Amino acid sequence: MMKYAIETKNLRKNYANHSALKEISFKVKQGSVHGFLGPNGAGKSTTMKILCGLIPQTSGEFHIEGEIGFLPEYPPLYGNMTVDNYLEFVLAIQKKEVSKNKIKDVKEKTGLKTVGNRLIGNLSKGFQQRVGIAQAIVHSPEIIILDEPTVGLDPVAVVEIRELIRSLKSDHTILFSSHQLHEVELLCSDITLINQGSVLISGALTDIQKKFTTQKSYKATIAHFDEEIKMKMIKEFNLDSIVIEGDVIEIFPHNTEMKKDIDQRLLITHYLAQETIGLLEFNEKKLDLEELFKRMTIEGV
Amino acid sequence: MIKAILKKELKDVFGSPLIYILAGLFCFMMGWLFFNYLQQAKNLSTVNIGQAVITPLFGNINFIFIFLSPLITMCSFAEEQKQHTLDLLLSSKLSLFQIVIGKFLAYFSMIFFMLIFTIIFPLILSFSGYNDWGVVLSSYAGVIFSIMAYLSVGLFCSSLTDNQIVAALLTFCFLLGSMLLVITVNATNNYIFALMIQYLTIPFHYEAFSKGIIRSYSIVYFICFIGFFFMLTIKSLQSRKW
Repeated sequence: MMKYAIETKNLRKNYANHSALKEISFKVKQGSVHGFLGPNGAGKSTTMKILCGLIPQTSGEFHIEGEIGFLPEYPPLYGNMTVDNYLEFVLAIQKKEVSKNKIKDVKEKTGLKTVGNRLIGNLSKGFQQRVGIAQAIVHSPEIIILDEPTVGLDPVAVVEIRELIRSLKSDHTILFSSHQLHEVELLCSDITLINQGSVLISGALTDIQKKFTTQKSYKATIAHFDEEIKMKMIKEFNLDSIVIEGDVIEIFPHNTEMKKDIDQRLLITHYLAQETIGLLEFNEKKLDLEELFKRMTIEGV
Repeated sequence: MIKAILKKELKDVFGSPLIYILAGLFCFMMGWLFFNYLQQAKNLSTVNIGQAVITPLFGNINFIFIFLSPLITMCSFAEEQKQHTLDLLLSSKLSLFQIVIGKFLAYFSMIFFMLIFTIIFPLILSFSGYNDWGVVLSSYAGVIFSIMAYLSVGLFCSSLTDNQIVAALLTFCFLLGSMLLVITVNATNNYIFALMIQYLTIPFHYEAFSKGIIRSYSIVYFICFIGFFFMLTIKSLQSRKW
């Protein structure tokens, strides 16, 4: 039976003039990296704060299997403390005993080994974010909640933080929100997309992508292509259409042909590979997260 | 757990130049006042040295801390809110009471450090034969109780805002306002009302201590005052979750 680290049921949060969360229900599988997506003001941070016990929900319930480590959107750092002292302090207020070995382990895991004696205020933003993640895992929680861990970082630091999150995957269940949809695609096995306080969709990323791919298409980069070849191909492979954009063509197969699409891909690539056309690249076009995000939050599909 | 936050706060307090600047200013002012009171006492033959030097000196210590306490406590919660570290404390295993007590004890240690320097004044007087240590000790008790009350107000005001200046001004206005209640007492003809108002003011309770009288109801007043403001601070921190 599937075990869940986090389960929320109809979470609702009302403030005086508006309701931040209307109906938030989703599940996070144990040991998974779960992306929590939504535009600004969708209710991501509010949900995360409720799960961490920082604010109470107005109604609804949630169940957490284990301890939580939380990195808020703004890392809670004391600029006048050294990294070592800060982690010692966090461990002391989260657990009664402070273990030097534990701090050493966490510093090693988060790449802070060389900056242990430096003041947090003097570190770069990337390192400060690492300290933020270190404080979230220093007391060995089963679940880590990261609220936009890569926001405001340069591309190199983003890659570093991504690798860090990936390395934590083996020991923790991770729920993290991000606007970097590419990031989510690379890291997450499951996602929950929310907008205006309601869950739009939640589940395995691949299932969601399959569900929302209404028409399959293939993208190919070719050396020579013209209208004559296009018409010939449409007729031969019973295609819906072919769109030409420079040296890239997008091939839309007929829906009835989709069942045997593997054969069709073989046939098409074989055809395009002939010397007179020259196939340089061939991909099956999938609905990417960015498109899904746009379609669900802006177009309201 | 309190130890962890107390240790961190003490490091902050004694690692910052603020305490040494304040202590330096405080010692300079007290030394100057002590010298002046001694000079005046030379010309007075009817009053004893306790009344001429000790009572006004401790009265001034008490008064100066109305200005210093807001400066000391202004960072307590305002700074935590500003640098988003309050959520770290609130999501930890620490209870709100432990957080408030930890900070309070750290600031009290800072005040205690500053008060230690004032021991020199009664010691100097003792060389000229002054030996009324009861008044000195009760005056210290009065000053300590009053300052603890000021700190509890300061912690509460700091929990209301993320702006240190606003926190300091709020504390100062509150403390000064409570002093000015005495004027209301003078303005009213209602004896019972005047007594009630008088009982609510810190100077009224401090006054007895400065004369060497320790009244149980004054101790109860200070404990209740401090406890009440601790409760308000805890409520204020809880309200962040509403």
